[in-house]
Amino acid sequence: MGLLSLLIFLPLAATFLILLLPRSLQSSFKYIALFFTVLQLLLSGYMYTQFDGSATGINQVSGYRFVEQLPWIHLDIGSLGRLEIDYFIGVDGVSLPLLVLSSLVMLMAVGSSWNIQKSPKGYFALLMLLNMAVMGIFAALDFFLFYIFYEVMLFPLYFLIGIWGGANREYAAIKFFIYTLFGSVFMLLVIVGLYFSVINPDTGAHTFNMLHMMNPNNYVEGSFFAYLDNSHTIWGIPARMIGFIVLFVAFAIKVPIVPLHTWLPDAHVEAPTPISIVLAGILLKIGGYGIIRVCMSIFPDATADANWWLGLIGVVSILYGALNALAQKDLKRMIAYSSVSHMGFVLLGLASLTAEGVSGALFQMISHGFLSAALFFLVGVLYDRVHDRYIYNFRGLAGLMPQYTGYVAIAFFASLGLPGFSAFIGEAFVIIGSFNAESVGTGIPRWMAIAGSVGILLSAAYFLWTLQRMYFGQTRLKGGEEWASKLKDLSLREKSILFPALALALVLGIMPSWVFDKMNTSVLNLVSLITAQL
Amino acid sequence: MITLTHFLIVSACIFCIGLYAVLAKRNAIMILVGIELMINAAILNFVAFGKYDKLHYSGQVFALFAIVLAAAAVAVGLAIILNVYRHYKTINPDNITDLRD
Amino acid sequence: MSGLFNISPIPASILVVGLPFVAFLIQALLGKKSISGIFSLAAIILSTLISGLFVFTDIWQKAPVSYTVDWFTIGNKTVTIGILLNNLTVLMQFIVCIIALPVHIYSKAYMKGDPGIHRYWMYLSLFCFAMLGLTVSKNLFMLYIFWELVGFASYLLIGFWFTKNTATEANKKAFLVNRIGDLGFLIGLSIIFSLFGTWDLLELFGDAGIFAQGIDKNTGLITAAGICFFIGAMAKSAQFPLHVWLPDAMEGPTAVSSLIHAATMVAAGVFLVSSIFPLFNDLVLLLIAIIGSITALSAAYFALCQYDIKKVLAFSTVSQLGYMMVAVGIGAWDAAIFHLATHAFFKCLLFLCAGAVIHEMAHHKEHSGQDFDPQDLRNMGGLRKYMPKTFVLMGMASMALAGFPLTSGYLSKDAIVISAFEWATHQGGLFIILPITLVFVSLLTAFYIGRLMFKAFFGTLRVPKNEQQHVDLHEAPRQMLIPMFFLGICCFFFVFSFNPFSYHQAGILEGFSVQYSFAEVHSLHLAIPTLLTLGTVLVWLVGWNWYVKNRYPLRSDSAFLIWGERQLGLNELYKKAFVDSTMSLTRFSYWWDRHIVDGTVNGAAYVARSISRAIDWIDRYIVDGLVNTIAGTTYYIGHLLRWVQNGRIQNYLGFAFTIILIGIVYLIFR
Repeated sequence: MGLLSLLIFLPLAATFLILLLPRSLQSSFKYIALFFTVLQLLLSGYMYTQFDGSATGINQVSGYRFVEQLPWIHLDIGSLGRLEIDYFIGVDGVSLPLLVLSSLVMLMAVGSSWNIQKSPKGYFALLMLLNMAVMGIFAALDFFLFYIFYEVMLFPLYFLIGIWGGANREYAAIKFFIYTLFGSVFMLLVIVGLYFSVINPDTGAHTFNMLHMMNPNNYVEGSFFAYLDNSHTIWGIPARMIGFIVLFVAFAIKVPIVPLHTWLPDAHVEAPTPISIVLAGILLKIGGYGIIRVCMSIFPDATADANWWLGLIGVVSILYGALNALAQKDLKRMIAYSSVSHMGFVLLGLASLTAEGVSGALFQMISHGFLSAALFFLVGVLYDRVHDRYIYNFRGLAGLMPQYTGYVAIAFFASLGLPGFSAFIGEAFVIIGSFNAESVGTGIPRWMAIAGSVGILLSAAYFLWTLQRMYFGQTRLKGGEEWASKLKDLSLREKSILFPALALALVLGIMPSWVFDKMNTSVLNLVSLITAQL
Repeated sequence: MITLTHFLIVSACIFCIGLYAVLAKRNAIMILVGIELMINAAILNFVAFGKYDKLHYSGQVFALFAIVLAAAAVAVGLAIILNVYRHYKTINPDNITDLRD
Repeated sequence: MSGLFNISPIPASILVVGLPFVAFLIQALLGKKSISGIFSLAAIILSTLISGLFVFTDIWQKAPVSYTVDWFTIGNKTVTIGILLNNLTVLMQFIVCIIALPVHIYSKAYMKGDPGIHRYWMYLSLFCFAMLGLTVSKNLFMLYIFWELVGFASYLLIGFWFTKNTATEANKKAFLVNRIGDLGFLIGLSIIFSLFGTWDLLELFGDAGIFAQGIDKNTGLITAAGICFFIGAMAKSAQFPLHVWLPDAMEGPTAVSSLIHAATMVAAGVFLVSSIFPLFNDLVLLLIAIIGSITALSAAYFALCQYDIKKVLAFSTVSQLGYMMVAVGIGAWDAAIFHLATHAFFKCLLFLCAGAVIHEMAHHKEHSGQDFDPQDLRNMGGLRKYMPKTFVLMGMASMALAGFPLTSGYLSKDAIVISAFEWATHQGGLFIILPITLVFVSLLTAFYIGRLMFKAFFGTLRVPKNEQQHVDLHEAPRQMLIPMFFLGICCFFFVFSFNPFSYHQAGILEGFSVQYSFAEVHSLHLAIPTLLTLGTVLVWLVGWNWYVKNRYPLRSDSAFLIWGERQLGLNELYKKAFVDSTMSLTRFSYWWDRHIVDGTVNGAAYVARSISRAIDWIDRYIVDGLVNTIAGTTYYIGHLLRWVQNGRIQNYLGFAFTIILIGIVYLIFR
């Protein structure tokens, strides 16, 4: 069993351990979860140091590191040929930073679950199951395996929101589940379609191997998704474009893009704080990762055709999310909409098809990962104390909770793209890359970059306005003296969760090479893969 | 001249009277009387049709046989009625509905 | 030992930038445990010394030095950071140090006893770090980073008293308006990147750079880049119509206003356009000149009508920044930097004096137990009796601002106005309006600063005295006066030039060898200074007559004054046009999101539920109904026949006979 498998299945061991232990030991569950996530973080950190940036990744097995390939389901199914599903995992420059990010955010989530009272056994078991699923998604290179992890991820989330959530949790959980499932069932159709279109050149059998799907030579001539001379259409749309659109919609729901984003504010608002952290920190990244790993790599030709629309969706998400965030009166909902806006940059950057834009988009994913986790944690701090997060019910918190306000201010400024923090590098290079796209000729017009930059202005507006309304001014709380006594400043546990996230935002803002050095080769490979189709 | 038809008409009348008594009377004894009337109507028919059997007189023989049978039947019937009365304290058949579902 | 005192300029300048950052970190870690500000003060003293001894003297008038390291690689492009030391950057760095130092000393007394003073020192050091870093950045991307960081520090300092609503409104406004400029800057960066693939100032604008080799500057993209960078500079340097944040920024502590919002940060825009001057083509330069002159004129008009002492000075800053922009616009960016340098000193001094006045007025307010606005000029008067040293210092600074001979302002202002006339002569035609505007603004400047002086220091105190008829006003403490004296000395000509009447001998101008596009007109060099000086004296006489002799000719409710005080309603207009419309847009978009987008989702769910309800109805009543109907019918029929079994023997017989009868009848009639 390789390191990568260990990383994926460690949390599963935690799940079983927690399930096996009797309920009388329930106070130990959080320590078990903590132990395993720390172990995971160390492991992913070790993998990060062992990973060399020269790995080209994307479409060649040789470009991946920590590769493990075992035959899993090999069946002879008569006239349909041989079924070939492999346990095939590996890491390249795109997935490595996301794996490290996931293990860090998971650690934050476990840390912020410290006060869970309601059935800790089920809670931590499900959380660890979720942990396994997201790790698996980022590592899987076999489409079937990928899909299994993708669906397994949904199941614990549904219960985590539906049982441990807020007042309206059932609605939010069902909405989240159905929305994601809506995307993924159609994805299954495309997976099957791809399966019958691609053969493994070594064995001649149909395969779910994603890397084989990226190679035009492996497509069966005349098959539905055939690469060359493909005359299949559905409603007049070429088959490969249909495949791209279906897969894009499946992942775009996760990103989320406007107008498929409405599950997000509800899920975030109703989810308990740790689950909000996981949702914003990891789940949204799965969308972006899926677009890169699946949509863009398997359908580079369709990507090259559709990138104008991708860019437009990105710009619309940026502006629309920011405008909605500006209108919110609920702090958590505001941050949820700000996520929509910030993830719009990811899409715009990917659509630019320039090395700067794509790198910026990936960097923005990493940066948004722990910044949004920190933001949701900060909302949770307030909600834990007074069970309210309505912006107008608070005023002048700076006088009451100076350290908390300091952390909020840093998190807000980091999120609105203050230089020195990671979000700045991400957003700036997305804008620069998409501006450069017209010069390179990838089809993204310059006005999209300019419109996207207006999103930066709006994000400053909503963050500063919130800062002014809630934290500055004379202290005035809806709950009066009672609240004032409840609103204690940050505890050591809370600080030790927040500090690493914000410190990392700062470190990556100053040393972006720590991420870029690992991903540059993969990004260049991806860009050349697609731009060859232009 | 009294023909066969006249006998048959009388016999039918007696039969109908007996039938009426069996169906309509609320007294078991009267029903038994009705049954006797119907048997006698049948006996009358036997005798009337017996004129065509000059050789064996089987009509008359059957009539006698039937009269004996009827007497036996009346004896048994009266005994049943007596037992029913002992059991139910009534001989009105409407009140004896133990056979109902 | 000698090696220690012979640091080469590059590490020295890194030290200059880094020391305040170290002070910031120490102060941030110590928090409330350190309220003396000793770390910040020590850092800025060391920075000033190093900047003066090892950086400025080593580089000024000598060969430029630069140092570059790779920062990170993105794709296959490498972004670098580096230090560029040439005449412009070392001068700017030195000015920042030398202004920051007295402000630090002054703050120690001015901010004494404030409960948040530990934050004050932290923010101030952060600002110094960012501003010093901005001055020596070698590349535009790095410059942009520091550019935003100074804005951030300014945000923190404007909102220093965060319980004051006006202060938090003001810092939000300042940051947002600056953000507009930052976007311009970012777009400019993008254009430069996509055109040249580098942000290095030397590679772009150096002697052997891309622009020095001669490229066609009249393309649309380069014009756009120029305008974008200028928008960045407009926001930072408070140029019309993005100047609105600066007067509001006066909500911060006065020492901060003097350093950030008068002397250094607001000048960063001028510094930027001077650094990237070769980028601008004639069209952009003309735009810069026009915007600059509009700014100078409008701000001078607003300054005339303000009653808040700090707002008068704020608008005066805006107006002077307009002057500098005009100088850049006509191509004389050396004159702009010269004016920037002289202006930094006297405007800083003006603010510090105003701070001393406000300090004492607030003191008086506290002691007399009356409620009045300590910053309102209408409450002051006759202060010269109580604060003679402050009066003298402020008078000197005012003369420098008005451009009176023997002062530094005289030299730099003449440099701009005369160059503008020469430029207009060269261009001909309607361009003459521009220098005439400048002359007019110069007279207005003299008038409003005279008005401020007359109203504050002459006549008698307008607020009532307390019960004991004792006025609790006295001179500012020595710790505040010493830095003010130092700045006062710097208001005189000899700091910048040994010839008090000719700016050509000024050391700063000699440091830059700018090729003017226009010829020198000698007659102007006598005519303009004379005209300006006579005009200044004249308007001061008028001001004296109006404000001291109380022969005020205007009604206080005249539209001219009211509109001036309200800044022509610009703030209200912006609020209506931009803030309110954005807010209605956000409300609309949220409504749209809730009811249309989410409504569609919920509608889809509703439709699905309705369909399933319909299917359920069909299943229950049609499909299952059929089965139930059959069963029910059978049951009903059975039920019907049931009463036959009534246990009545006679009925059974009756049925039997009836059936037989029916059978017989059937047999008969069939």
